[in-house]
Amino acid sequence: MNQNRTIYWRSFRMAAWLGWQIESNWTDPFLFAVYSFVKPLSGAAILVVMYSVITNGAFGSPVFPYIYLGNAFYQYVGAVMTGVSWAVIDDREHYKTLKYMYVAPISIPIYLLGRGVSRFITGSMSVIITILAGMWFLHVDIDVTAVHWPLFFLSLFIGVVMLAMMGLLLAGVTLLMARHVGFMGEAVAGALYLFSGAIFPLDVLPAWLRPIGYAMPLTYWLELLRRALIGSVADAFPTLSGYSSGQLLAILTALTLLFSAAGILVFRWCDYHAREQGMIDATTNY
Amino acid sequence: MKTTPPYDVLARRAPKNSGAHLFWQTVLARAYPRVIGQQREKSWMFFDVVLPIIGVAAYVFVYRAIQAPEEYVGFVVVGGAMTAFWLNILWSMSSQLYWEKETGNLALYIIAPNSLMAILLGMALGGLLATTLRAVVILVLGSWLFHVQYAVVHFGQLVAIFFLSMVALYGMGMMFASLFLLLSREAWHISNLAQEPVYLISGFYFPVKSLNFWVATAASLIPLTLGLDAMRQLVFPSGATLGFLSVRLELGILIGLCVIFLLAARFLLNYMERLAIREGRLTENRR
Amino acid sequence: MFLEIGNGRYPSLSTLPIHAIIPNMTTLPAIQTENLGRIYRIRGSKKEAARELVALRDVNLTVQPGELFGLLGPNGAGKTTLIKILTTLLSPSNGRALIAGLDVTQQPGQVRQLINMVSGGETSGYGLLTVRENLWMFAQFYGIPSAEANRRIRELLEIVGLSERINTKSSDLSTGLRQKMNIVRGFLTDPDILFLDEPTLGLDVGASRDVRQFIRRWMDEQPTRTLLLTTHYMVEADELCDRVAIINQGRVLACDTPANLKRNLQRDAIFRLEVSPPDEATVAALATLSGMRHFVRRDEEGTAVLEMILHEEAALAQVINTLTQSDIRILNLQKREPTLEDVFVDLVGHSMAEAEHENNPAV
Repeated sequence: MNQNRTIYWRSFRMAAWLGWQIESNWTDPFLFAVYSFVKPLSGAAILVVMYSVITNGAFGSPVFPYIYLGNAFYQYVGAVMTGVSWAVIDDREHYKTLKYMYVAPISIPIYLLGRGVSRFITGSMSVIITILAGMWFLHVDIDVTAVHWPLFFLSLFIGVVMLAMMGLLLAGVTLLMARHVGFMGEAVAGALYLFSGAIFPLDVLPAWLRPIGYAMPLTYWLELLRRALIGSVADAFPTLSGYSSGQLLAILTALTLLFSAAGILVFRWCDYHAREQGMIDATTNY
Repeated sequence: MKTTPPYDVLARRAPKNSGAHLFWQTVLARAYPRVIGQQREKSWMFFDVVLPIIGVAAYVFVYRAIQAPEEYVGFVVVGGAMTAFWLNILWSMSSQLYWEKETGNLALYIIAPNSLMAILLGMALGGLLATTLRAVVILVLGSWLFHVQYAVVHFGQLVAIFFLSMVALYGMGMMFASLFLLLSREAWHISNLAQEPVYLISGFYFPVKSLNFWVATAASLIPLTLGLDAMRQLVFPSGATLGFLSVRLELGILIGLCVIFLLAARFLLNYMERLAIREGRLTENRR
Repeated sequence: MFLEIGNGRYPSLSTLPIHAIIPNMTTLPAIQTENLGRIYRIRGSKKEAARELVALRDVNLTVQPGELFGLLGPNGAGKTTLIKILTTLLSPSNGRALIAGLDVTQQPGQVRQLINMVSGGETSGYGLLTVRENLWMFAQFYGIPSAEANRRIRELLEIVGLSERINTKSSDLSTGLRQKMNIVRGFLTDPDILFLDEPTLGLDVGASRDVRQFIRRWMDEQPTRTLLLTTHYMVEADELCDRVAIINQGRVLACDTPANLKRNLQRDAIFRLEVSPPDEATVAALATLSGMRHFVRRDEEGTAVLEMILHEEAALAQVINTLTQSDIRILNLQKREPTLEDVFVDLVGHSMAEAEHENNPAV
């Protein structure tokens, strides 16, 4: 047990260090800064332009901060899931070290989770930059003294754990797949965007798609973050207003446990089959 | 090793084509893995069709949530289909020479007697064919799911716009291929960086006219901006009123972009090759 | 009769006496280097200052058409750098290199029509393509018509024993088979001058032998072909090459036929002594004996092997005296014929393994 804990800690720490070396080393600080600003702000600006074209710039409505904050925090989804799952492709096809990681006395799932840390850090920077830009330029009025900080940090923590475990699930699937387009984590995050109530309430979805949204922990997570930061935003759309924050937290925690279990099981299954098919050291370039 | 029968392949000299024949032979040979690779790995269906459709749906529902006119749904579907090309340019054209270098193929391409331009053109052609299939699937599915109504006003112009946008766009991709290789240690970071800003300034999800005039003008350097704008004008009833420039003018600019990007691609490729040979860096991977 | 080979300047070679039809290829050397040098500038980082690495210095080599020429040297000696320059992948820092009279820096396009290259230990092509498709693709890059390419692929794969895997995806091949495919790629395009950089690196004994036999046959079938091979395996150079250049730290130390290189040592007495492990003082004493020319010590399990090149046979008495005085037991004594390894030791002063360590101190 104790030995396991040592192995887990070593795997995580080493992977987090390695991930940061790779993440921070690819360019000079200037380009890195541009990268940290441009990408999140352009994503947000697409929505801002869409909103502004249709509503003639009605930024005062609570609908706008609902969309803006949902989108801002949603960046964690792509960042964390990509951080964890891209390590598989990066190590296997680029650095060709995945096989050595596998033969080393480390825990592979923990190693992959550790590789996600650097993306979590850069993702946090993106989220903060996006929110600050909203506060300064776009009437996203967050009153720092009125924010429910304990609720905010608790929700954020549970959410990050949930995302990391979903990333692990995706990493498992990646083990069995070829290198295709860019970051698969981003692609999956893009798809889940639809079902998370990030930028529009679940009520807008066709009735048969809504259950997927209600089954997603992301939905409750984003709602909690919005409530913690600006209480009134929750009133923009009444979808989840029937639930108290405590109830939402309970649902989020339960779903996080469920998704974590799924992440572990799927990873194990894929890992077994990847070994069976000899995918651990495959290169699928074409 | 088998020694019998005595194969004459060892003694027989191989006939070889040269000039234009060799050029086109190379183009087709490099396009081949692009098309066949897609055929062999079916997982692209999920990642390149299902996921984009869902992405398109998200923007459709945003418009519905804020009660936008139904026209905008059509704009999003057409824009969503065209994202397939932009992703292909970024991930499979611009960063491709970098991957070729990493896998050791770049050196083999350089020492072969064909022109590297033919290799890039082959990648572009293969990528274009494979991506067109994806884009069509997204367009058809999206239009069906969200009941998009089209009213094509000038079919000939539509074909011309699409064709020119693609030539210019893939010319740009060919130019980026050398540029990314020269600029970056890990090219996919640039690819990742260029994704959303281009969705924004090229107006993938709203008419580019909604942006500031100068921003839209600058964005017109990316061939998809004007291509998309012209296509929307040609297929939607109210497209013309939301268009940025007239279709004819956009056609003219696209022709100019085709020439510029193809020439720039050729220039940069030569520069990259010269630099590679002088410094010996670009043919070695950095694993 | 003139097939379109390369830019059309080289006619079909198989039917006429070569001297009659390609004056260029017979009067000019296939490969020639003049004072060739290459310096790498290694860019600095936070922890390391920028520095220069001299990979090649003043290399003068001439390889005639039809020769199978070997470059023998330890890892890091500059062999790959030389091949990169000759295959137009790298420009020299000084001097020049000519392929069939064409300058590799000034006329790379024409040079490329005559050459191909295989690096051992590397693979090529795309994992999702089959062996045939990968090879076909490369043949197309050289302008070989499809039907002819496919015919050559089938026959070459048959010869190297890969024909059953012709439709296997190359990502599904073992490393050795993938390497064989890569070797076939080099021969497939029928180059006038072929560069093989460590072609048997990482292959097992049987596969290496197959590859060597294949190389020899390919050369024998067409006397106009030229092949330059780099290796750090002595046997490979000895067995295959018409002439060998020994290279270390970027310099060519000797260049001749393997027999001539060894002949210079035949006057010397070469002994292999197996003894109980000697102490450092004895080793130092042996090294400074007046009759000792070169001396290499290799430790094996429980014993030590002393490879010695003596000025004359009589000097052996000094060696045995020194050993018995230090109470070192002689387990085995053998007089043997010189090998290329001895030639290397004679030229460099230590064994190839030691030279390798010196060239790559970090390894």
